[in-house]
Amino acid sequence: MKKVISVLSLFLVLFLAACNNSSGANANGSDADGPAEVEFWHAMSGPHEEAIKKFADDFNSTHDDITIKPVNQGSYEDLQQKIMAAAKAGNLPDMAQATTNVIPEYIDNKFITSLNDFIEDPEVGLSEDELNDYIEVFRDSSTWDDTYYSLPFSKSTRVLFYNQTLLEENGLEAPKTWDELQEVAKTVTKDGVVGMGFENSYEAEFQGILKQMGGTYMDEATGEPEFASKEGQEAMGMISGMIDEGIARTAGEDEYMSNPFGRGDVAMYIGSSAGIPHVGGAMEDGIEWSTAPIPTLDGEAATTFAGNDIVIFNQSEEAEQKAAWEFMKYLTSPEVTSEWSMLSGYLPIRQSALDTEEYQKFLEENPAYKAGTEQFDAGFFIARVPGGDAVRNIVLEEMDYILQGMKTVEEGLTEAQERAKAELQ
Amino acid sequence: MQKPTWKSTLKGYLYLLPALLILVVFSIYPIIKSFLMSFYTDYDFFSDTVNAYGLENFTKLFQDPNFITALKNTGIFVIGVVPLSIIISLAIAVLLNSKIKLSGFFRTIYFLPFVTSVVAVAIVWSWIFHSDYGLLNYILGLFGVDPIDWLTSPTYAMPALIILSIWKGLGFNIIIFLAGLQNIGNQYYLAAKVDGASAWNRFKSITLPLLSPTMFFVSIISIINAFKVFDEIFALFNGRPGPANSALTVVYYVYQKFYEEWEFGLATAAAFVLFLIIFLFTIIQLIVGKKFVHYN
Amino acid sequence: MRKEALSKGTIYILLSLGAILMLLPFVWMISTSLKAPNEVMAMPPVWIPSEWQFGNYSEASESAPFGTYFFNSIVVTVLTTIGELLTTILAAYAFSRINFYGKGIVFAVLLGTMMVPGEMLLIPNFVTVSNLGWIDSYEGLIVPWIASIFSIFLLRQYFFSVPQELSYAAKVDGCSDFKFLWYVMVPLAKPALITIALLKIIGSWNAFLWPLIVTNSQELRTLPVGLSAFTTEAGIKYELLMAASTMVILPMLLLFFVMQKYVISGVARSGLKG
Repeated sequence: MKKVISVLSLFLVLFLAACNNSSGANANGSDADGPAEVEFWHAMSGPHEEAIKKFADDFNSTHDDITIKPVNQGSYEDLQQKIMAAAKAGNLPDMAQATTNVIPEYIDNKFITSLNDFIEDPEVGLSEDELNDYIEVFRDSSTWDDTYYSLPFSKSTRVLFYNQTLLEENGLEAPKTWDELQEVAKTVTKDGVVGMGFENSYEAEFQGILKQMGGTYMDEATGEPEFASKEGQEAMGMISGMIDEGIARTAGEDEYMSNPFGRGDVAMYIGSSAGIPHVGGAMEDGIEWSTAPIPTLDGEAATTFAGNDIVIFNQSEEAEQKAAWEFMKYLTSPEVTSEWSMLSGYLPIRQSALDTEEYQKFLEENPAYKAGTEQFDAGFFIARVPGGDAVRNIVLEEMDYILQGMKTVEEGLTEAQERAKAELQ
Repeated sequence: MQKPTWKSTLKGYLYLLPALLILVVFSIYPIIKSFLMSFYTDYDFFSDTVNAYGLENFTKLFQDPNFITALKNTGIFVIGVVPLSIIISLAIAVLLNSKIKLSGFFRTIYFLPFVTSVVAVAIVWSWIFHSDYGLLNYILGLFGVDPIDWLTSPTYAMPALIILSIWKGLGFNIIIFLAGLQNIGNQYYLAAKVDGASAWNRFKSITLPLLSPTMFFVSIISIINAFKVFDEIFALFNGRPGPANSALTVVYYVYQKFYEEWEFGLATAAAFVLFLIIFLFTIIQLIVGKKFVHYN
Repeated sequence: MRKEALSKGTIYILLSLGAILMLLPFVWMISTSLKAPNEVMAMPPVWIPSEWQFGNYSEASESAPFGTYFFNSIVVTVLTTIGELLTTILAAYAFSRINFYGKGIVFAVLLGTMMVPGEMLLIPNFVTVSNLGWIDSYEGLIVPWIASIFSIFLLRQYFFSVPQELSYAAKVDGCSDFKFLWYVMVPLAKPALITIALLKIIGSWNAFLWPLIVTNSQELRTLPVGLSAFTTEAGIKYELLMAASTMVILPMLLLFFVMQKYVISGVARSGLKG
């Protein structure tokens, strides 16, 4: 490994020397004599951002010729907006996090770099084995017509967070089915505590329950949304029913459930596995908590896998792109992805990372992280279509109308489906 | 002043040049451009090419239920803010004008919110409006009012926004009213007092009529400003137009279409509609204002 | 003598009640910003923190680069203000003291553009700025704002009030136009210039929508943009959020306290002019 790196550094030094004459125009300011500076835009905050900073520092200290500069851009929406604005102005960063939903748009507008050349490069590429070590579903979601435009990075699944202290006080255990969950929620909803919580963007829960009921959110092959089906209405009815009954709430003005859950205002909630360190940080003293897999419905287990990839933009000089590729490989290496997972609650994206003794030991010691990795079999992806981001916003908007009682479940979902269809045309 | 010569013309434009350069590029050109852009029906922002022109944006706009919601909400906001704000600020201005000590001190306090960042105070208010731990619900609770979901219920989101906006803008109106009040000659009041008119009658028959041009002006300015509300919403509801679009206003709609969805044509068309509305009020002000104003 | 409608006492009570309502959010902001986390959510509310947590301020500055935001806000505010003063002085002089062809038309066109809401200019200006490659740069934040039609009108009115004879006298003394403007007119117009500068300072310090859309990197964010991003960055920790808000609000409050005479007269004039 060391040898590879030193050969690489030499290569990069030569490379940098070669572009000594041409650089200077780059907005990202690669100093011709200094190391290649790679700007990395992301939407990670709190403990996640800390982890990214650490990886960048580690990487920088072992790569004299590359400097990684992580930049937080706020929320995923902010990040996406900033990338679109920067693409036009010609000052894109060298690499960024990107949800799979938005990548088709980047490809259409031709500002992201195909990774095939890097991957196939004999010097800096990935071997067949290495490539296959990336978990298959994640690999699939990174390719468009056999071309890699991204590598998986921050991939998460949904887990059920529960307040152990409170449940034990009531002689209860973490629910395993949705029926049990509703019972538990009913029992513990009192004294200002609400039993169950949903994130403000709880479409993942809707998609999960819909799948458990045997319905389809969006047809893979045709890209047609189908969520307003009978199953869809039942699934949505279940969520809105719990909220109307008062045994569940959304995060509302607390933005993320980790806040009210941490205060002990909510006994359980379903959220991203990546929320684990946030919950750890928000937890008030004296509250024991853990996570469990998503409850089953009539014996069916299902949960969505979501998250972000990392991409490289083609507005940068070749040296920066190459340096970005190095960092990309580093971030997705088995060592880093398992450490990333331990620090962040995201899932490891390499099979070998999952199997290491260290990671298994970590799961033993930190059972909260276990639920996520136990669900690989139950995991599924929502169909990846261009315009998927807009559909998501439409669904969230209509779901909001339903929860606020401004539309019935049927009206809201039908309307959402109509609008989604129009959007996807 | 001398007649213009070519030499003085050259000099004149030289002096104007810096300001004119900026204003032409960033104020005048965009007006024309924005008018044109509203007819772009197929525009590629990345290559800056227009593939098709047409009126489609406007038809699309008025078929979009969200735009209708935005118009409606903006209307409600204007009606909610303007009259209340004017009544309250007029009352305070009259009190401040009643020759009391400390009037300058009070004026300063009422004006404070006006100089502060909308974003910062909106964030402070979002904390005050918090349904479980907010100050407002606590105070209301002392009077036996159940906690209100100010920021998460579509019923109360707009009232919350209106409360914030009135608080923020009160100072401006008070200053204008004070200036107007001080322009009213004291002789009217003296004469009225001699005639034995009551305070209310004096207010009704002297203050109000003589203040009417000011009131008219304040109303128009307030209406125009209320039509442009955006920052407050963005900060109060954390980057969303309120629960279930209950605080979606025209400018917010423009922002969404433009910056979130990159629909430049639709966004400029919406901005153009906003301009027409504001233009209408400006014209009213110019015409009616001319008739109203009477110089003593 | 007839009785007044309201006694002095009643007036004081009413005004004080109003003043308390106006001040309450600020007091609550500062109080929350100095609390320990467990007191923030306490019910009934704690008004005076049992222990003053000044550390919240440094914690907030550490969780987000408020130092950088602060610096950017100052750079942008100072440069736009200086820029606007310069363009305004020159333009107002041309409109008030020089007679040139097309003056009436130029003046009328400018007057007309004042009716157009800034929101309408937002999108084309964004396109212009990105074509210039000014997205995420100080140029993009500053240049579009260094001229103001309103300020030019304000100063023009003021220049008109300076007696014409002064300029004749200066001419006789062999004083050039520019020198006359700089050494005679500008000092005379100081109150108007201070007012213009203060309104500009307040405006650009608090500006939000434009900096929001033209900045990408943390390095170029101004305070309001940084503050709004902070709500997502830090999760919701109200004591830190309030500390950050205080940092944004306080400089303008202090400036206002010192210079309120000019600010208020400026606002009153903007109103009376119509």
